[in-house]
Amino acid sequence: MAYAYLFKYIIIGDTGVGKSCLLLQFTDKRFQPVHDLTIGVEFGARMITIDGKQIKLQIWDTAGQEAFRSITRSYYRGAAGALLVYDITRRDTFNHLTTWLEDARQHSNSNMVIMLIGNKSDLESRREVKKEEGEAFAREHGLVFMETFKRECLILTMRRMALRSVLSTRRQEALAPAVRVLAVQRAGAAVRCCAAHTERAKRG
Amino acid sequence: MSKQSDSEDFESADEGQTLQTKKEKKEIKKLAASTKNVEQTDGWDDFDIEETEAVEISKSNKKDETEKPTSQDTGWEAFDDWGENDNNKVEEVKPNTKSTKDVHKSQEQADIQAVTERLAAATTKNEGWGWGGWGVDSLLSTATAGISTLTSQVSQGISTVLETGIGAPDPEELARATKEKAVNQETNVEEQPTAQDTTFQFGSLLSGVTKFVETTGTKVISGGLDTLEVIGKKTMEVLQDGDPGLVKKRAMLGLDTEKPILSQILREAKERADEEDKMREAKREAKEVHYETLFDDFEGLVHLEALEMLSRQVSMRIEERLRSADADKRQDIKETMQQVAELCEMPEDDDDDDDDEEHGDSSKEDVFHERLQRATRDIGLKLQFQPLIKQYTDILQWLDATEVVNEKAIYKRAVSGLAQATALCVELYHKTAEMLLVKNRRSTADEADALTQLTVVLSKHVSEMATLFTEKLSKQPSEDKELINNYITNVFLEAGNSSKYVENAFQLTLPIIQIGAV
Repeated sequence: MAYAYLFKYIIIGDTGVGKSCLLLQFTDKRFQPVHDLTIGVEFGARMITIDGKQIKLQIWDTAGQEAFRSITRSYYRGAAGALLVYDITRRDTFNHLTTWLEDARQHSNSNMVIMLIGNKSDLESRREVKKEEGEAFAREHGLVFMETFKRECLILTMRRMALRSVLSTRRQEALAPAVRVLAVQRAGAAVRCCAAHTERAKRG
Repeated sequence: MSKQSDSEDFESADEGQTLQTKKEKKEIKKLAASTKNVEQTDGWDDFDIEETEAVEISKSNKKDETEKPTSQDTGWEAFDDWGENDNNKVEEVKPNTKSTKDVHKSQEQADIQAVTERLAAATTKNEGWGWGGWGVDSLLSTATAGISTLTSQVSQGISTVLETGIGAPDPEELARATKEKAVNQETNVEEQPTAQDTTFQFGSLLSGVTKFVETTGTKVISGGLDTLEVIGKKTMEVLQDGDPGLVKKRAMLGLDTEKPILSQILREAKERADEEDKMREAKREAKEVHYETLFDDFEGLVHLEALEMLSRQVSMRIEERLRSADADKRQDIKETMQQVAELCEMPEDDDDDDDDEEHGDSSKEDVFHERLQRATRDIGLKLQFQPLIKQYTDILQWLDATEVVNEKAIYKRAVSGLAQATALCVELYHKTAEMLLVKNRRSTADEADALTQLTVVLSKHVSEMATLFTEKLSKQPSEDKELINNYITNVFLEAGNSSKYVENAFQLTLPIIQIGAV
């Protein structure tokens, strides 16, 4: 399928918070989960149209297990955004958010948008993390926040995220016309132009 | 320098000699038409039209001359500007430059003569100057001499070219002329303060020659094209003089007598639209069977990208270990890495057709599954071959189906089948790499062996798949054998593409195997 832009979003968070479920909700892909646990990373994609342009949102759904942590770290590069997910029925998944955030900040480029998602908000009776806590955490760390379990809500939010990515890409294009070529070609502008960022961040 | 250029120089020398003696009347007549300043004559202005810079410099030289007529050097520098034959002229004129003001004036006269001589040249073919001597520049100056005489002169010039049998002016000559002119401009500029030193001129000429040799290549093209363009432009100018769009001339020639017929125009417009539609359709179809796009749609590209990221990160980790290790340990690591790399070298194609016979009665997909399992027996991971097997099964079923399909459908299925199989292969390497990285006990040699075997099996798989499709294509009863052959060639090309992707994925996995041993 042809597209004008490709944006990469990475889903991170503890194991079992429902990352793969979010991916399934967001994409129409019918994949057969051969294994219950994600190995390394799985992919999903969805086309959206902004300004008459076809935009491919490519989701990298990472494994939450500790063993895959270092592998996940190598996948941040070039992501336009990250979906940091916790389970509102499990306090520990909320407590681990800081380490996830550190990972994300350290291995991605500085202008990556991070969205905090409190998942499984349909299980109100088992709630362990208050919505206000999630909001406070997001405010403190400059994240976009939402609680969800609904597909429509997620798709709408992703669309807004994509809009931000488009805008930021346009800004970069205005600054450096060469970026546009890369962006249109594939893999999103961020992949290439942020390589230097990442390298610098690692060294620093 | 070639022999040819020598002879050119000789002819130029000839020109230099004749300058002061011949056709003075003619020149004076021509001069009368121009203004009193030499540099303002048409001939001069247009003479160097292809090199504006040169014109400017020579103009400034000319101005120098008029400002301080007693200066000894400016005169013959301006002379240099005349073009390709100046090295000889320089020799000729040298004594003059050292003489009195009067002589200098005659020198100036000679300059003017040189211009007018050229102007006259095209009309007086019988002068016996070879084309080689003054080359296209003369034709150019002729063409730009004056609008009134231009048409006849150009046509004459062209007929001369045809008559003499030389044909179009030799681009090399052209380039030479242009370049030498440029070189001489340079020497002029450099030489201004030391112009009296006559030997210097010779030396810089030599350097000019070598310089010229270096840059001839580009000059040949630009010079030739520029000249043609100037001639063409001027010709159109003259032809359109007082007749914009050539309306009258066309009417005169009876080109516009046919009145437009509305139905005809409409029919043509419709045909054009149909043509465009067809092209658009063809483009769309081409996109539909575009291997890379399909490979992307089947997630091959994103798996490859992820595998690249892993590979790069692991390579960096290995580098780090090498850096932090002491000399002995470093050597040890390097040797180990080399050994692993050797283990992962692809074996030569030894056709082990015998294993096909072993599975005489089992289905193709089973044979494939069996091969995959045998190859990766010792890797110590539970790999998922199911997607690959399923895709193969689907294709085999599709090929065996009795329903009649056209060759285009077969071709499409072939390309998409190969793209999908390749995407699944890349995914398999990516998953294997991830699992190896989280594996507790590494057994590098086994892993290297298994992945090498796997690569052999997968490469064979894509080429076999391509063969199945091409067999189906060649069995197709069709008139258009050429189209079928085209399709077959393309299928094999894409199969080659697939093999490359597979091998590339294997190479990316290499550091992940290596890090287990260091």
